[in-house]
Amino acid sequence: MSDHLFVGKSIPRTIEADKVTGKAVYIDDMKRPGMLYGKILYSRYAHARIKSIDTSRAKKLAGVRAVLTGRDIPDARVGFLKDQTVLKKDVVRQFRDEVAAVAAISPEIAAEAVDLIEVEYEELPAVFDPFEAMKEEAPLVHEVDARGRPVKSNMLPLPWKFEAGDIEQGRKDSAFVVTDNVSTTWVNQCCMGTSGCIAEFDTSNNLTLYNQTNVIFGHIGRITEYFSQIGLKGKKIRVVNAIVGGSFGTKLDTDIYEFISIQLALKTRKPVKILFDREEEFQALPPRQPAVFTIEQGCDRDGRLTFRKCEAILDNGAYTSWGATTPSVMIMPMSSLYRVPNVFFKATCVYTNNIYCQAMRGYGNPQATFAVETSMDTLAEAAGIDPLEFRMINRNHPGDETPMRLKITSCGFEECINAVKEKLKWDEKKGKQKGRGLGMASLIHVAGGARVTRSDGHGMVVKVDEYGHVDVIESGTDQGQGSPTVITQIVAEALGVRPEDVFLTFGDTALALWDAGTHASRHTFMAGNAAVRACAKAKKQILDMAVEHMAKIIKGGFKRKKRKDPDFVEPDLDYGLIADPENLDIRDRMVFPKKDPDHPYFRIPVSQVLREGLLGSGESKVVVAEAFYDPPTEMLDREFKGNLSQTYAFGASGVEVEVDEKTGEVKILNLVAAHDVGKAMNPTLLLGQIYGAAYTGVGYGLTEEIKVVNGRVMNPSFRDYQMLTAMDVVPIEPVIVEPMDEDGPYGAKGVGEPGLVPTAPAIANAVYDAIGVRITDLPITPEKVLAALKEKG
Amino acid sequence: MIEYDYKKPESLEEVFGLLKEYGPRAALIAGGTDVMVNIRNTKKAPEVLISLRGLKDLRYIKKNNGYHIGALTTHRMLELSELVKTELSALYDGASCIGSVQVRNVATIGGNICNAAPSADTAGPLLVLDARVVLEGPEGRRSVPIYEFFTGTYKTVRKQDEVLVEFQIPAEMEHFGSAYWKYSRRKAMNLPILGVSVSLKLDNETISDARIGLTVAAPTPVRAYKAEEFLKERQLTDDVLKEAGKIAASPDCCSPRDSLRGEAWYRREIIEVYVARMARIAAENIKNR
Ligand SMILES: Cc1cc2nc3c(=O)[nH]c(=O)nc-3n(C[C@H](O)[C@H](O)[C@H](O)COP(=O)(O)OP(=O)(O)OC[C@H]3O[C@@H](n4cnc5c(N)ncnc54)[C@H](O)[C@@H]3O)c2cc1C
Repeated sequence: MSDHLFVGKSIPRTIEADKVTGKAVYIDDMKRPGMLYGKILYSRYAHARIKSIDTSRAKKLAGVRAVLTGRDIPDARVGFLKDQTVLKKDVVRQFRDEVAAVAAISPEIAAEAVDLIEVEYEELPAVFDPFEAMKEEAPLVHEVDARGRPVKSNMLPLPWKFEAGDIEQGRKDSAFVVTDNVSTTWVNQCCMGTSGCIAEFDTSNNLTLYNQTNVIFGHIGRITEYFSQIGLKGKKIRVVNAIVGGSFGTKLDTDIYEFISIQLALKTRKPVKILFDREEEFQALPPRQPAVFTIEQGCDRDGRLTFRKCEAILDNGAYTSWGATTPSVMIMPMSSLYRVPNVFFKATCVYTNNIYCQAMRGYGNPQATFAVETSMDTLAEAAGIDPLEFRMINRNHPGDETPMRLKITSCGFEECINAVKEKLKWDEKKGKQKGRGLGMASLIHVAGGARVTRSDGHGMVVKVDEYGHVDVIESGTDQGQGSPTVITQIVAEALGVRPEDVFLTFGDTALALWDAGTHASRHTFMAGNAAVRACAKAKKQILDMAVEHMAKIIKGGFKRKKRKDPDFVEPDLDYGLIADPENLDIRDRMVFPKKDPDHPYFRIPVSQVLREGLLGSGESKVVVAEAFYDPPTEMLDREFKGNLSQTYAFGASGVEVEVDEKTGEVKILNLVAAHDVGKAMNPTLLLGQIYGAAYTGVGYGLTEEIKVVNGRVMNPSFRDYQMLTAMDVVPIEPVIVEPMDEDGPYGAKGVGEPGLVPTAPAIANAVYDAIGVRITDLPITPEKVLAALKEKG
Repeated sequence: MIEYDYKKPESLEEVFGLLKEYGPRAALIAGGTDVMVNIRNTKKAPEVLISLRGLKDLRYIKKNNGYHIGALTTHRMLELSELVKTELSALYDGASCIGSVQVRNVATIGGNICNAAPSADTAGPLLVLDARVVLEGPEGRRSVPIYEFFTGTYKTVRKQDEVLVEFQIPAEMEHFGSAYWKYSRRKAMNLPILGVSVSLKLDNETISDARIGLTVAAPTPVRAYKAEEFLKERQLTDDVLKEAGKIAASPDCCSPRDSLRGEAWYRREIIEVYVARMARIAAENIKNR
């Protein structure tokens, strides 16, 4: 089956050489003629009324070109629920509220000017706990909604409620029922490249935004909406990405700093760059959404799940970005991780004066899976069933339709669970050691796109020149994930060239066809499918050219030979072999008849055909093809049901830990990460995704936490934010399960997010196995472990 | 823009001259890994930075009637020295866990001690190795025991016109085994949540002498004298070590605080556990000579 030359091979990353040699141009490096530097002044209070702002000293500073406050720009509202303005005029509701902004000729002058702005505040009562915020007497974070209507409560008007089957019936059918309370906290995405952009207007007020988003067209949509509110309706917006230094969710929304750079550029008529420093990245960039869950599950005597009921409270912070929409993804594991007939899930997002949140790798799934997988362990224990066996009993199967109406096609879940069992020596080691323990957790995630916008399509243009070089106009984003190399492999394979002949151009809305975004682990699946389709078309064009020109090229060769060697006798060939494009193929840069690939005369370089067809005599043509792949998936309906992805990823993580019972320290001895990926397109890069995600999961489980005290981020640096380093890597045994997905390009499914999802709950479950103490609040710090051990006595 | 002048004298005399000329408007800089971070954080710089990096002969590790370590010795030099590793193990433990290789390549032991952070990783080891700090000024040299060197958080007895030139560790330490444990959440690029250093001397299985140093357990790195006293002339047993840990963790010996990095109660737990563990390793290190 696999006579592929490039697909499935660990070819080295194609475009990373420039990154490691420092040639790649990140937003930090990018400079436009006449460019100014913007800097933002943030609030000094979590909740306060702005009494006055004095910008006179800042304006007088030499080199300052503009100082803006909320009074200088239109009151236009932005964000998912339109609950904030770009600069805050009357009230600040969190420490990161943008109060004023400066544009100056250097970043240092801009920073100095910001310090010269004087703001007088009148502090207002604030609320930092979502449970407090839900109480009637709690201070309101917003007095009115986006349309100016008075608001009665801090609870957001969002509809996150999912029901399937009958919970009461499920309870009746249960022999065992457990309830757990679990919680997760804020973590930062920790991109190497911090947030930043350059806004530049032409004379007619058309905007070019140099950016690093993974949703280039989503940006256009949001900025278009903003433009229509600020008198720039109908202006053209072009988004051009620099090389992106990581995303992990941070570049999914259009952030306030981007609107500020637009305003500063409008005011100064110059390109304006805003670039966050690391402290800002921690304080003013929305992190992962925290959540508190109460989860109840039941099973019958045979260990079959009977129902799952879960309520979640999300600290929304002061405004709304994608964090508030993470429940839409939580519904997936809540309803569809394992077979469970009766499901109820409700999430309430509550305004507080804390920082607000957005997307991060996994998008709500890690939080929800922590809840589900904690409960799976406690329920297995209640039922007296081995937790791995319990999961095996309840696993999803190919062909299932889940309560959310997800249609499970390829599904290597069983193999994943078995891999954990075997690699960890589960039966031998589980439940036996003092201070050592095993734990596992699983996952389901979208792996064939995610129809969260009406079109989940991905467009691609493939253009071949007379040398056989291929330009691919990619509508996605290379954020370091490695899938560009995979797309290169696919194009080389599908078109019959080599990876070094393929050149990808990313992230320019003026060139690219529409794409829903490089999120939801969808790039390999969607762009891969678009590439396969576009390349088939381009290949057809080349083969048509071959039919037109091959005989001529070959005969021309004979003629030349004859001129040099008068004794040469032209062979008598059956030109019918190359008269029909259906009978020809291209592979590894050569065109040849399918029936006789090694034909001594009819096997010629494709570049010869291209030169003749593109530039030669007769009617010249171009080779260019486009494809738009939009799978036949569904948007979720009002009940949050529908098959939103073309296929789903499954996986299981197993962890062996050693717990120091005197200090509460948890050491990971082994981490097995088994993933159903459809087909490994590039095993090395795939492992990179699995390792990276798993390590992030270890950080989520053990060390990472943004400490927010009374609304303020207290650890805004890598010194104090405990992201793990290269020295902290733990042994990981990856297991790749390849059921070959029939809808995936060459069988592949998405894998970008999955590795992170089950890691933290697997660690928590292993800690429980080791010491009989369950930590239900992430991260699992030594303090929490030791305190719990002491309490247990 | 934060602006400052930078001078790189070649001799101590030149350093003294510059210190005199600029007075409080100048500051010394060695590896710069504390100085530069401070400048960035406070957005303030002294008028002149006087670099000590031209003083090439202040980078050494010698054994000659005791141990002598030049103030400009980098942590990386300490880490790679066989002598330090086998005979001054606690100092090896402390120096080798600082920051990262890149940081250790430039950061100096003199800077670590003069900066006087409560979390300095070489402070505890130097305390239990009975180090003396040698300061030189225009008037000459003086030497101070390290337990008298720190006067508060980021404060020392060093006078403005003095340069730390050398650490001296008495020859007697040859007979001690020592160890340092940096308790932190990750293995690199981290400050200790707590540090425990122990050195001891054994007479068969009897502890004939012992030192215990605690880092991040008080406003300055401190010795746990009461716990040391308790250990003396006692057998090296689990019970004895446990008791010593308890004493070291008590308010008699330390005053850890609740901070962002760790809670006080937990720091005390760690002291209790790791005093015993480090004593065991220190004893092992005698045998491993
Ligand atoms: C990324 C990073 C990680 C770090 N990790 C750790 C860690 O894990 N553990 C730890 O303890 N520290 C750590 N540090 C802090 C720092 O590296 C150490 O304290 C280091 O030893 C300082 O040495 P230096 O030569 O760089 O000192 P400098 O920054 O040059 O100087 C520090 C102070 O000492 C003074 N000084 C320096 N030398 C002399 C001298 N000979 N005489 C008189 N005064 C002098 C200077 O005036 C200044 O006040 C870290 C720093 C960074 C940037």
